[in-house]
Amino acid sequence: MIKVRSLNKSFGKKQVLSGINIDVYDGETLVIIGPSGTGKSVLLKNIVGLVTPDCGSIIIDDTEIVKAKKDVINEVQKKMGYVFQEAALFDSLTIEENVAFGLRTLTKLDESEIKQRVVQCLSMVGLENVEKLKPSDLSGGMKKRVGLARAIAYQPKYIFYDEPTTGLDPIMTDVISDLIINLRQRLKITSIVVTHDMRSAYKVADRIMMLYKTGVIFSGTPAETENTDNEIVKQFISGSSKGPIETDRTFSQME
Amino acid sequence: MNKARTLVKFIQFLDVTFGAPKRLLLYVFDGVGSAAAMTFETFKWIAKGDINPKNTISQMVEVGWSSFPIVALTSFFTGMVLALQVGSATSNLFNEPVYVGTVTGFSLVMELGPILTAIVITGRVGAAITAELGTMKVTEQIDALYVLGTNPVKYLAVPRFLACFFMLPLLTAASNIIGIYGGMIVTVNSWEVTPDMYWTEVLDFMIVRTFLHGFIKSFFYALIIAIVSCHKGFNTSGGAEGVGKATTNSVMVSIVLILVSDYFLTAFLVALNIK
Repeated sequence: MIKVRSLNKSFGKKQVLSGINIDVYDGETLVIIGPSGTGKSVLLKNIVGLVTPDCGSIIIDDTEIVKAKKDVINEVQKKMGYVFQEAALFDSLTIEENVAFGLRTLTKLDESEIKQRVVQCLSMVGLENVEKLKPSDLSGGMKKRVGLARAIAYQPKYIFYDEPTTGLDPIMTDVISDLIINLRQRLKITSIVVTHDMRSAYKVADRIMMLYKTGVIFSGTPAETENTDNEIVKQFISGSSKGPIETDRTFSQME
Repeated sequence: MNKARTLVKFIQFLDVTFGAPKRLLLYVFDGVGSAAAMTFETFKWIAKGDINPKNTISQMVEVGWSSFPIVALTSFFTGMVLALQVGSATSNLFNEPVYVGTVTGFSLVMELGPILTAIVITGRVGAAITAELGTMKVTEQIDALYVLGTNPVKYLAVPRFLACFFMLPLLTAASNIIGIYGGMIVTVNSWEVTPDMYWTEVLDFMIVRTFLHGFIKSFFYALIIAIVSCHKGFNTSGGAEGVGKATTNSVMVSIVLILVSDYFLTAFLVALNIK
């Protein structure tokens, strides 16, 4: 279980997250939505340890990681996989080496087992015969799927998805959504998904949470989200430019 | 009320006058501090012996073998120019070219060999290191390393650091020899000095300490190139433009530090009688 308590994070004078409290239960898929720049990715990066919070605590399976020693953090990190927005594949390595990277650093599998696992993970994300290619040989959607294969290869308990469907065509978006559901059902993986794509959010989420102006303003099931009275959430899920969400891109302001 | 306004104006004046130098100082100290922390971490991994041999060897090939042709070309022509200039100057002064080999050899082994090699490696290898690590930083590949349980300093900086540290002195030694041969070709053809005579002039006054003078300096230049290029790469931000700026900055800072440290290293080595 992941518990986040009173988490604050600012960059310079800009407060990004303030007083965040979240519980993510084992086996659950939590989807975080919210306008751009509200700190959704920053929240994920705080949880995996890529960013250090200004204050607050993050507890993963009863281990407090914000002030923990490096070896404790390293142990906790083995339980976490991260799917990056732009895949973040290592340019200099082949697809096989990319997917095997975590297996070589975080597990004690021998080379034949690693090769077998790489093929298995790539086939889970619908990719075959790409092992010897370099990331530059792949399309954007294929890179995202390799990023996902790399994250699931060492079978982490938690996976964090940072906009996994952004930039993909609708069919590929649905494939990725199915994959997230499949992973939860087959491997009992607990996931946090940051997305703007409401169709995908409704499909994969057990619970949807909305971040707005540095804090959590809504949390509920997909059905509760669809039927909410919260005007901010309603505007966001409808994708309307008119409403309480402040944006400098509305026509009224442009005029 | 007037006093309060005057005070506010005075504070604003101080901020305008000293704001920029304060920010510059903070930037410099912040950079030096984080570079020192990265260097310390690099040494820590090396001391632990936690080194990736595959990465280290491939970096050594990149720094050493792949840089050899350009280093050889540079030093060969530098030796030729030196011999031409020395021969011409001594011919004007003494009506014959004297000590061409001695001056060419000393200049190359003590100064020009180490400095030119370091500058060529800064431009070729230092820039490439910053651009590569900077691109990895802005495309979140360094974050990915961390998430996959790999320390980025251990995986990326240590092999590059070791490659620079061991390859630059070797390239410097090669550069010295090639430069002296370049000088010999000009001396023999333009100044009608025999090769034997040239080599006698080169080696007559040169002792092991003379060679050590330049060789020791090249280790320090290697440290500068590796630390600056890795640090600038790891701290890149701002997309493609940021990578470009970091690379330019890395080359500039490395060259300036190499040239400035050259004076102090020379003074130090001369004081220790390594000359």
